[in-house]
Amino acid sequence: MSFVWENTVIALIAIGILYFLLNKYAFGPLFSVMEKRRELVQQQLNEAAQTREQAAAYVEEQKSALQEARKEAYEIIEQSKQTSSKQAAQLLQQAKEEAERLKDEAVRDIQSEKNRAVEQLRSEVGAVSVKIASKLIEKEVSEEKVQGELVDQYLKEVGGRS
Amino acid sequence: MHEAPIIDLGGFRLDLSIVIMLVVTCAIVFIVAKLATRNLSVENPGKLQNFLEWAAEFVRNMISSTMDWKKGKPFLSLAMTMIMFIFVANMLGLLFGVVTEYTDADKAKIFGKEIISVTEVLHEQHEKHPGEEAHAEVAWWKSPTADVSVTMGLALLVFLLSHGLGLFKNTKNYLKHYVQPYPLFLPINLIEQLSKLVTHGVRLFANIFAGEVLISTIMTLAKASAMGAIFSVPLLMVWDGFSIFVGAIQAFVFVILMMVYISQNLETHDEH
Repeated sequence: MSFVWENTVIALIAIGILYFLLNKYAFGPLFSVMEKRRELVQQQLNEAAQTREQAAAYVEEQKSALQEARKEAYEIIEQSKQTSSKQAAQLLQQAKEEAERLKDEAVRDIQSEKNRAVEQLRSEVGAVSVKIASKLIEKEVSEEKVQGELVDQYLKEVGGRS
Repeated sequence: MHEAPIIDLGGFRLDLSIVIMLVVTCAIVFIVAKLATRNLSVENPGKLQNFLEWAAEFVRNMISSTMDWKKGKPFLSLAMTMIMFIFVANMLGLLFGVVTEYTDADKAKIFGKEIISVTEVLHEQHEKHPGEEAHAEVAWWKSPTADVSVTMGLALLVFLLSHGLGLFKNTKNYLKHYVQPYPLFLPINLIEQLSKLVTHGVRLFANIFAGEVLISTIMTLAKASAMGAIFSVPLLMVWDGFSIFVGAIQAFVFVILMMVYISQNLETHDEH
């Protein structure tokens, strides 16, 4: 075994040239491709995370929308319930008023009818009694008109009392 | 012992086997890496691309186990280059060997140049045992990492890199660390740094070299006799399997130590 320094020089030159060539033609491109792949993977991971976030947000949105729709539906139902009950009450009120009105009318009709009947009766009774009286006292009472007045007055007193 | 085919180029001793093996190793690593990154795709990577990405991920984990990933990121390429280079280099010596034998110093030539390591050995043997036939074997194909000068080169690279980074990017803490806990420890700290350099290179060399020595020893046994040839087959299988394991482990250890040394010199002690 002997140390030949020339070999050392040659070996250094050889490794230097090899390093230069590999770096330029093989490793440089290789490392850049590896770096690109790393970036690609990173980018895809980021995209996936983003998509997941979006999906979560979307689901959340849908949930809240559903919640809102439900609330709205509930409100509508509630409102319609209220409206219907109000309407029912209104109808009832109307019916009551109508009934009241009809009753009043009827009462008024009855009253006026009665008054008319009383009036008629009164006049008839007056005439009849005058006739009766005139027949009874035909000879004594000549002035029919005065007698009729007398009888009217008398009957009025009677009707006012009754 | 196999000799290295060294020729003299005007005072520069060129080890041809190392040149060949370094070229082969670099070519294999580059071709594999280039094939793997031929049709790069972000979404649909091919098999080889997947493999290389797995390796990159593995090295990345090694780095982040020794230092903050933000600090260690620039060293990913270097660590990848180192681990691939050392692993392939470790494996190459296990495949096969090319050995030539020389007995005559005058014939030990290549491209018209004298292989000085062979002639040296032959002359030495002639002087020691005059009259006997001298011979020398030259290994042309072996792991480049089975040569101490190559592994020390790699270790030196790591040494210079880590200390350079420490000195220029982490000056205060780096220099302070030499006189801790007391200024008296300065020589010990210096020796520590030096021993790191030496062990870093020699560990890799020794493991791979030992594996190759044992393989050539088993080969010698196989050549010796028929019985030896029969025995050598299971031995070689076991030892080759173990060598693959050792080669992988040493590549891992070398690179993780590299990252540890760099991180030690970049340490800021902010947390204390």
